[in-house]
Amino acid sequence: MTLLIKDEYPEKLFREDGKRLDGRDLKELRPIKLEVGILNNADGSAYLEWGNNKIFAAVYGPREVHPHHLAKPDKGILRVFYRMATFSVFERKRPAPGRREKEISMIITDCLEPVLFLELYPGTSFEVFIDVIEADGGTRCASTTVAALALADAGIPMKSLVTSVAVGKIDGKIVVDLSGIEDKAGEADLPCAITWFNEEISLLQFDGDMDLNELDTFLKLAKDALKEIYEMQLNALKSKYITIQEKYNGGQVKQ
Amino acid sequence: MMSIRRVISKIERNYIINNLKNEERIDGRGLWDYREWKIKHNLVASAEGSADVCLGDTRVITGLKYEVGEPFPDIPDEGVCTVMAELLPLASPLFERGPPDEQSIELARVVDRGIRHADCIQTKKLCIKENEAVYILFVDIYVINYSGNLIDAGGISALTTLISSHIPEGKWVDDHVEWTGGYITGETIVKELPIVLTFGKIGDIIFIDPSLPEELICDGKISISVTKDKVTSIQKSGAATFSIDDIQMLNKKAMELGNLLRDNLNLWQYKVNIE
Repeated sequence: MTLLIKDEYPEKLFREDGKRLDGRDLKELRPIKLEVGILNNADGSAYLEWGNNKIFAAVYGPREVHPHHLAKPDKGILRVFYRMATFSVFERKRPAPGRREKEISMIITDCLEPVLFLELYPGTSFEVFIDVIEADGGTRCASTTVAALALADAGIPMKSLVTSVAVGKIDGKIVVDLSGIEDKAGEADLPCAITWFNEEISLLQFDGDMDLNELDTFLKLAKDALKEIYEMQLNALKSKYITIQEKYNGGQVKQ
Repeated sequence: MMSIRRVISKIERNYIINNLKNEERIDGRGLWDYREWKIKHNLVASAEGSADVCLGDTRVITGLKYEVGEPFPDIPDEGVCTVMAELLPLASPLFERGPPDEQSIELARVVDRGIRHADCIQTKKLCIKENEAVYILFVDIYVINYSGNLIDAGGISALTTLISSHIPEGKWVDDHVEWTGGYITGETIVKELPIVLTFGKIGDIIFIDPSLPEELICDGKISISVTKDKVTSIQKSGAATFSIDDIQMLNKKAMELGNLLRDNLNLWQYKVNIE
């Protein structure tokens, strides 16, 4: 296939003034907007804008398992389906789910499962559908973050929320929350997620190269960023109920 | 949460039908009223055109991508536009995962035919070099929330996407294509604005824009695409039958309501100017 504009990356990932190409400091996150309960057909839903990433997540369940042989008699199952829209990336993606999407679906499933009480729902399934409308680096982290919110919005008992962010190395410096360009042109990328009930790492991948001291710095930086995003998640969950409260206290509802 | 079932109870069905007999709808509309339209355009930066269209609770996001490829041998100087639709399982418990089913193929096909036969896309302007290089446009429709009448929402969203499009302009240099640095926008690509209108039929009552409960109990539907003065495509679906008088009446009605909707939505406001 031929495109007229090429997807090229700049040689330097820092500006003259030492800031990143999008004007951020080393530890600064991109702007994040979170909303819950935006799709009224789903049992729970959430929408996220994280930089240029735009992602919908919806939860259905507990419901009957299809295909039936996947059902477990002693516990429920969690299934996550991460998909990208054909127009979410620079070069049109093929409509059928690819290997990358299947792998990410699996690691997000494994990441979210520890916070659920699946043993309370034998023979059923929870299905989380994640659809990326626009992708710009760090979609697996953004997807995990928004999927956890959708699960909470569905009222499914959880031990805690899950939050995820990527840290990485670009032009030799360690930075938080890589953008699309930084992800592709940088040296290292480490997406991770935390389950807050035990404050342990539930998703961890790494591509690149690092020495043994760097991992420590990576994880310390990640934890600060995760705390910041966790506060945003809590606020998003609360704000849905604040809106309802205001609506009913404001006397705008007909008797 | 709204509960959705494939089967609607007899009591609810009778309630809807009795209301329709008095020319009233359960959501307060008249027989020939659309639900509220909300349109946002150019919201996806990675797409060469996009639209987010709400028709009541039905929500559809559409994006456009392009490729440069070889033309079909029988039309060597015309570009190609294809429409694809996906009913995301996140949009409704009635949708399942897997390859496109009949409903999503029908949605894509009806929207595609409405556009194709209406002198809407100026395919000759999508040619870079005869016999060698033309644009291939992909209009991909994603259903985000399903609450009835996907075809009309999909049609408007595909049209808004095309109007908001901005595709890198190519030129033929020696034996390959190069970017001129400029863009071809919707203003160049799109001419006519075909509107597709869907009517539901229950018994002998006909009405426009079926909502989800109406769609689930209706005997059948008919979708009619119209330009300012022509009917460009018709699709009857479902197990209903329509009399010849009905069809004549609906063609007239579609023309009248289509013109009204085209004026009200004023889709040309969604064009994008890129320097």
